[in-house]
Amino acid sequence: MNIVVCVKQVPDTASERNLKTDDKTLDREAADGLMNELDEYAVEEALQIKEAQGGEVTVLTMGPDKAAETIRKALSMGADKAVHLVDDALHGSDALQTSAALAQALRKIGFDLVILGSESTDARTGVLAAMLAERLGVPQLSLAGKVEIDGGNVRVERQTDYGHDKVEGSLPAVVSVVEKINEPRYPSFKGIMAAKKKPVEKLAVGDIELDAAAVGLGNAPTQVVEFAAAPPRAAGTIVTDEGEGGAQAADFLASKKFV
Amino acid sequence: MVDFSLSDEERQMRDTIRAFITKEVMPLEQEVLRNEREGRSSLPADVTRELREKAKKAGFWGINTPEEYGGINLGPIMAVIVAMETGRTYVPFGFGGTADNILYAGNEEQKKRYLLPTIEGERRSCFAITEPGAGSDARNIRTRAVRDGSDWVINGEKTFITGGNDADFVMVFAVTDPEKGANGGVTCFLVDRDMGWKSEPIHTMGEWGPAALVFQDVRVPHENILGEEGKGFELAMQWIGQGRYMIPARAIGAAERMLGMAVEYAKVRKTFGNPIADYQAIQWMIADSHVEIESAKWLTLYAAWQVQQGRDARHASSVAKLNGAVMANQVVDRVLQIHGGMGYTKELPIERWYRELRLLRIYEGTDEIQRRTIARNLIKGHVKLGEIG
Ligand SMILES: Cc1cc2nc3c(=O)[nH]c(=O)nc-3n(C[C@H](O)[C@H](O)[C@H](O)COP(=O)(O)OP(=O)(O)OC[C@H]3O[C@@H](n4cnc5c(N)ncnc54)[C@H](O)[C@@H]3O)c2cc1C
Repeated sequence: MNIVVCVKQVPDTASERNLKTDDKTLDREAADGLMNELDEYAVEEALQIKEAQGGEVTVLTMGPDKAAETIRKALSMGADKAVHLVDDALHGSDALQTSAALAQALRKIGFDLVILGSESTDARTGVLAAMLAERLGVPQLSLAGKVEIDGGNVRVERQTDYGHDKVEGSLPAVVSVVEKINEPRYPSFKGIMAAKKKPVEKLAVGDIELDAAAVGLGNAPTQVVEFAAAPPRAAGTIVTDEGEGGAQAADFLASKKFV
Repeated sequence: MVDFSLSDEERQMRDTIRAFITKEVMPLEQEVLRNEREGRSSLPADVTRELREKAKKAGFWGINTPEEYGGINLGPIMAVIVAMETGRTYVPFGFGGTADNILYAGNEEQKKRYLLPTIEGERRSCFAITEPGAGSDARNIRTRAVRDGSDWVINGEKTFITGGNDADFVMVFAVTDPEKGANGGVTCFLVDRDMGWKSEPIHTMGEWGPAALVFQDVRVPHENILGEEGKGFELAMQWIGQGRYMIPARAIGAAERMLGMAVEYAKVRKTFGNPIADYQAIQWMIADSHVEIESAKWLTLYAAWQVQQGRDARHASSVAKLNGAVMANQVVDRVLQIHGGMGYTKELPIERWYRELRLLRIYEGTDEIQRRTIARNLIKGHVKLGEIG
């Protein structure tokens, strides 16, 4: 089983994140980079499938040089090798362009199964899995809370508001996962030391038969026109409990349609 | 030349251990405070066991244990970095897979019976040199071992023995040749509890206590001598030497965490209409604490670096231990002060740290003994002034 996991380095949600004023893209240099949290679940799932079925886990990321840190983390967790799509021409690519670049890279790598987190904590478009599946012409099984491989098929429990759907597709396929699926392992110290020796292939736009004029901020079909900081949080409502506190709190929640 | 940066791997290991401590251990902190307030033991044994299993599964096991014993032997610098991270929490927890350094001095049979089961967590050791009449002057111990056929018979009392209440064997130091005393007349014995020594808990100002151990005609086979007869004092110094720079390492983690709490509290606590962080008195306490923590950090890493280089690190370790112990006590006192009345309560962990960190100035060489060592090294010319590295 040849599994490719797509991972993304995102700014630490705990640190301050800003858009740059000049090109309205995220200031990735200023914030601490981390592996997108849902991608850790994707890596874990890939490792578990490999441990059960055999095969190889390749990590694929698109991002600046700094994203090598995230590759290293996935390799430390136990992935076998990595491909780093890194090219200044890719800077500022939107979801459509990113999916085009990743799809080309995936064609080059080859795969039976592509696993990714269902969304990233920075852009939160949540569309990449669908776009990849479409571009690659393979089934998409999204929001998986459980994945089973059965010969040439993949079965998932797709998480919904009311529970889950059982969905089945044929391999090769693209699967996106949610938190419920597993508990990601910590990279072990041995794994961290071993990661240094694992192969990381760097690819540029020219290596994946992609036209540089089709990617990057200047050519993006979608554009960030304007942005504004979120308004500061308004002071909360304080309910003084004089015997009626519970009822007042309930009324407040009802007025906001929480209950 | 001088390079203060961590390698990529060191940084990644640091981040991983930090994530583990933050996600798996710190959530138990409130439970620890509650249990201790209500007079129960800090954590139920099964919780500690589970945590250790989880850590082992994640590969945090045998951090300083040689590879041929299943460990990962990360070396002194990484050990210090790991200790700084684990020191951030007061949950009593340590990674498994380690054993006292001097147990490696045992013969094959002793390794099988004592070293390996200690690494595996099946047996628990304790180290006993201090006596009611011999603390700082450990050379003055009186516990006596007398040869009787193929056995030795031990009589005497040990005190303040960490782990002595739970240990199932002790590395005990006894006089085998009173004429020579510490100069070739002290021997280390591996003594199982069922050979007859007794332990008695000692209550302390901390949340845990050591034990007093009583040896009354305890018969120990000759083959239970660790190392050589008469070479015990050297082993004792080796044991103490190994841990010395680890003591400030843990203290740095605790002090940094507390300083973080103090900074956050100073920003939100208002008096006279302003956050107390606006007042110079508070700012100076924050600044001084940071300066002292940073000094301790680099002195400790320097001592560890000396060990890693295979150099004689005794002086650097004494400097780091003295500095770190004093630093931690000053920082916790300031942090408590910044928190005002809240700092004094058992709702927050500061008073707990205050009590616990006080020990650092006493055990494994008191402040005064460290100063004595440092001064002697200079006065006798063992250490030259004006050196770097
Ligand atoms: C919680 C705890 C755990 C411990 N764990 C262990 C253990 O596992 N194994 C073990 O063997 N021991 C252990 N000890 C013992 C510890 O190492 C001793 O307490 C320490 O060495 C000091 O000895 P003492 O208490 O006898 O103090 P003393 O030596 O009696 O010192 C009393 C005071 O006099 C000062 N002083 C002594 N000599 C001089 C001098 N020459 N010049 C100036 N000042 C001096 C000291 O600094 C101190 O302030 C532990 C102690 C405690 C409290």
